[in-house]
Amino acid sequence: MAFLEITGLSKSFKDHKVINDLSIGIEKGEFLAVFGPSGCGKTVFLRLIAGMMPADSGEIDIDGQSVVDANPEDRDIGMAFQNYALYPHMTAFDNIASPLRSRHVTAAEVDARVKETARMLRIDHVLDHLPKALSQGQKQRTALARSLVGRPSVVLLDDPLRNVDAKIRYEMRFELPRVLRRYESTVIYVTQDYKEAMALGDRVAVLVDGAFGQAAAPHEIYDSPSTIRIARLFGDPPINLLPVRPITGAAGTEMSVAGSTVRLPADRAALSGRECMFGIRSENVVVSLEPNNGIPMTLDAITPVNNRLVMLLGGNEGTELFASCPQGGPMDRLRGRHNAWITLDLAHAHFFDNGNGARI
Amino acid sequence: MSTLYLDNVSKVYDGAPDRAVDSLSMHIEDGEIVALLGSSGCGKTTSLRMVAGLESITDGEIRVGNRVVNALRPAQRNVAMAFETYALYPPLRVRENIAFGLLRDRVPSGEIEKRVKQIAAMLEITDLLDRYPPSISGGAQQRVSLARALIRNAAVHLLDEPMSQLEPQLRALLRARIKDYIIAHKMTTVVVTHDQTEAIALADRIAVMEKGLLQQFATPHDLQDRPANLFVASFIGEPPMNLFPAVVQDGGIAVLNDRQEVAFHMSVAVSGASGKLGDGKRIVVGVRPHRIGLAPGERAEGTNLVGEVTSNHWLGDQCQVGFQVRGCHVIAVGGRDVHAPMGSQVPVAISGEAVRIFDAESGVAIDQGPEPAASLVA
Repeated sequence: MAFLEITGLSKSFKDHKVINDLSIGIEKGEFLAVFGPSGCGKTVFLRLIAGMMPADSGEIDIDGQSVVDANPEDRDIGMAFQNYALYPHMTAFDNIASPLRSRHVTAAEVDARVKETARMLRIDHVLDHLPKALSQGQKQRTALARSLVGRPSVVLLDDPLRNVDAKIRYEMRFELPRVLRRYESTVIYVTQDYKEAMALGDRVAVLVDGAFGQAAAPHEIYDSPSTIRIARLFGDPPINLLPVRPITGAAGTEMSVAGSTVRLPADRAALSGRECMFGIRSENVVVSLEPNNGIPMTLDAITPVNNRLVMLLGGNEGTELFASCPQGGPMDRLRGRHNAWITLDLAHAHFFDNGNGARI
Repeated sequence: MSTLYLDNVSKVYDGAPDRAVDSLSMHIEDGEIVALLGSSGCGKTTSLRMVAGLESITDGEIRVGNRVVNALRPAQRNVAMAFETYALYPPLRVRENIAFGLLRDRVPSGEIEKRVKQIAAMLEITDLLDRYPPSISGGAQQRVSLARALIRNAAVHLLDEPMSQLEPQLRALLRARIKDYIIAHKMTTVVVTHDQTEAIALADRIAVMEKGLLQQFATPHDLQDRPANLFVASFIGEPPMNLFPAVVQDGGIAVLNDRQEVAFHMSVAVSGASGKLGDGKRIVVGVRPHRIGLAPGERAEGTNLVGEVTSNHWLGDQCQVGFQVRGCHVIAVGGRDVHAPMGSQVPVAISGEAVRIFDAESGVAIDQGPEPAASLVA
């Protein structure tokens, strides 16, 4: 049994099953990033664990003890919210100290622990400030300090970097793992930014239809998504998806992409005759401006994204494909439309079932 | 379709102590795509509205082509605008909303139909053409508003936060299709956005604004590689530039850590426009995360250090590695397969060419690095 074991958790609002028979085990000290589109039930999931909302059914065990019937304050859980939820009339110090106050901790101990946590998060110089005198980033750090100060065995973070600007977000992304590791916390971190989930999570759990469609290491989710839906949620630009029907003939197994014939690796022969969806990420589509034996297409637009050039290609039968490559090459200076020839790195391609969307 | 020149344009709202826009000068070339980028309240939307004629101009001059438009009403300026709030006509169908400007411009009905069909397909709203705006989602309304502006033949197209509500899965596709459309139609376009990803993806040049002041007007590449000041350096980039407090020491640079102690030295020739910098001068050193080499055995003409990895974020197509060098936090971006496990020691190579130097007091760049290449739009 894992340190935090959740089994068959369900929660409905009227007829809508928001959390539907969800199970997962999280190891001690693990950082689990929960990712899903907005409205998928991520916050409800956290609230059920924290005890701020009763579950309809299911079991939650922490370190072998059931906590489903325990009050929120007795669950040994710290939580930080997206909107900080600081007490406006209390100083940063008192806000951070608040979880300790109810627990009969001595004043000297409170002082020591608040200061240590604040130092860790680099807000020890603003402890006497009221929330309104804190910058956005300091508020966020104060809320985090409050969730950590009681040394809870489980920390729940509800999209804590959603409302901070890019600079603070990057600072915190790099700092959070260091702080949390030091506290040996078991963390569930909810986000609707797939990059944040991949950056922070030891594992990423993808919440779809009220349960985890896949929970795995970031590279496994990215490279081997279990369904077409999960494949579409990771990657910017999103993965290219084209309907295909491979056929095995004398020349091997082939399929048609944008009107050209593409030969598949020998181990794909089983796909012959099957209507399915072909998926390939932009970084596995290689663009050449020199005529070669690749698929002729038009390079319609180049949009640099995060230091890569994202290229939209148009081809026969209205096919559109994204390709991408690192910046710093000859493509950097292009503008407008150009003829292009593309090759597909099929070793990194996927095929998905047309019915249930599962990866084949 | 036309040039758009702003010369020393200012805006003061009645009773406001500060200028919402302060002496903004920008020459936008015919067919150029320009983004006005900044956080809320920086003056970007006010600037756009002055161009559109929706705000009066306190001072300065705006010219569309050869024509000064300061005193002209919005309808006389020949500009098309997409509003952040969409501003669609609720009693008109989506199709009629999109065609509205063309009817006024007396475009023949056959052509209107053809163009509405084309632009609706481009923006994925074909299925919504016979619906009424209140019955479609916010993201879809935004696309209708965008269609209504893009379909027009105007001297200048103004787009205010045009993609803020778009569904994430559509964003990359529509961004690329819209850029293709704008370039193919040689449209002079100004996009207001708070989102640097959008600005960098779309624009030939970006004007970064803060507190009513233009901070820098340059290509996306130059904003990232040659920021004019510390504001731009810390605002632009994903992640933004590493910035280290430092002092000039024996003609080189001594980088300071959190406790103001010397963390490491950089052997870089430090000189500014006014010649050599004096010893003891306080500066800020900037290095882009993308220009720090992390490959094993990699060495640079410049500074070679060893860092301890404190975080390693794998993002699928790239890796963002955080490490500490004697009390300094540094972020580097590498390819998909950088091997840098937590706690390991990695070589950190920073070439002299990658180092930017800012005045610690004024924040202005003293050394911006090599000269930029020519603009993409002739």
